[in-house]
Amino acid sequence: MSGTNREVHELLVDYTDALRDGCIPAFLKSLTREEAERIASSWEFWDATEISRILNGVGFADKAVAPNVSLFISRVDAEIASRLKKSKASPHGKRPRRFDSQKRSSGGTKSTTKRENRTEKPI
Amino acid sequence: MNKRLRNALKGLTAPDVERRRRAMEPFVRATFGMFTKYLYRYLGNEVECEDVLEDVYADIWENPERLRNITNEKQLQKTVYLYYMRKRLREVYRRINRNLYLSQSNLKDLIAPEVGTLEMVSRSELQQILGQALGKLKARERRAIELWMEGASNRAIANELKTTVGAVKMLEFRTILKLRKMLCYYNRED
Repeated sequence: MSGTNREVHELLVDYTDALRDGCIPAFLKSLTREEAERIASSWEFWDATEISRILNGVGFADKAVAPNVSLFISRVDAEIASRLKKSKASPHGKRPRRFDSQKRSSGGTKSTTKRENRTEKPI
Repeated sequence: MNKRLRNALKGLTAPDVERRRRAMEPFVRATFGMFTKYLYRYLGNEVECEDVLEDVYADIWENPERLRNITNEKQLQKTVYLYYMRKRLREVYRRINRNLYLSQSNLKDLIAPEVGTLEMVSRSELQQILGQALGKLKARERRAIELWMEGASNRAIANELKTTVGAVKMLEFRTILKLRKMLCYYNRED
């Protein structure tokens, strides 16, 4: 991935290699402005990327080290618990009531009260 | 679709949050392998696959509406990719995008593209199609791709084929385009 001013065929092979080796960020960072433009305008490159992904999936996905599913499930559960906690802690559950009561009592003068607050602050 | 996955999906689409949380374990057990292998083709890295999947499963728990009318595994994989994985895949590289010359839309297409017809073919079927297509290639082209799929570097392939690295890159590029044509033909036939 070290060549400068690479042609489309070199760029595709480098992308395919990066995909196989799991280092796409290194490939993306290695692109120069000219190379990025070359990629953007090359239909051959975009056509071939699908095959690169398929080759990667068929050739290497099986060789990937299978992680411990039970451990992974506990990670997912922790993530869910944290989202649940966030949703409970967020004030969204309480605010609508206050808003509703404010609206009812003020008779739709929310914008004027906001404006008043804004003018009051500097004083 | 097997019974375990069907039941897990039923639990996942329940309105009760806790029931959905309980249904997540059998769902993860039934789909983890399938999703990891699918994601691997976009990331090529197990650790990132796990990180992305963790968010994907939590997103599914939070908003499982899209999985309500799933009837088979192929449909499940497509739905999960389109509505949950793509978003997370794009986020993986969003941070480094500031320093890149590639435009945002090109980056999206490279990292989390629209789903191609070939990308939704099951793995076993894909292996079969690819095997057939490789069989139709010239010996030198087939050897280059086989060596690449064994994990050989371009330098190693060049040594094996007794040529230069530049010639190997051109050979691989032409072979990939050739494979593309062959597999497109398969799609149309299909």
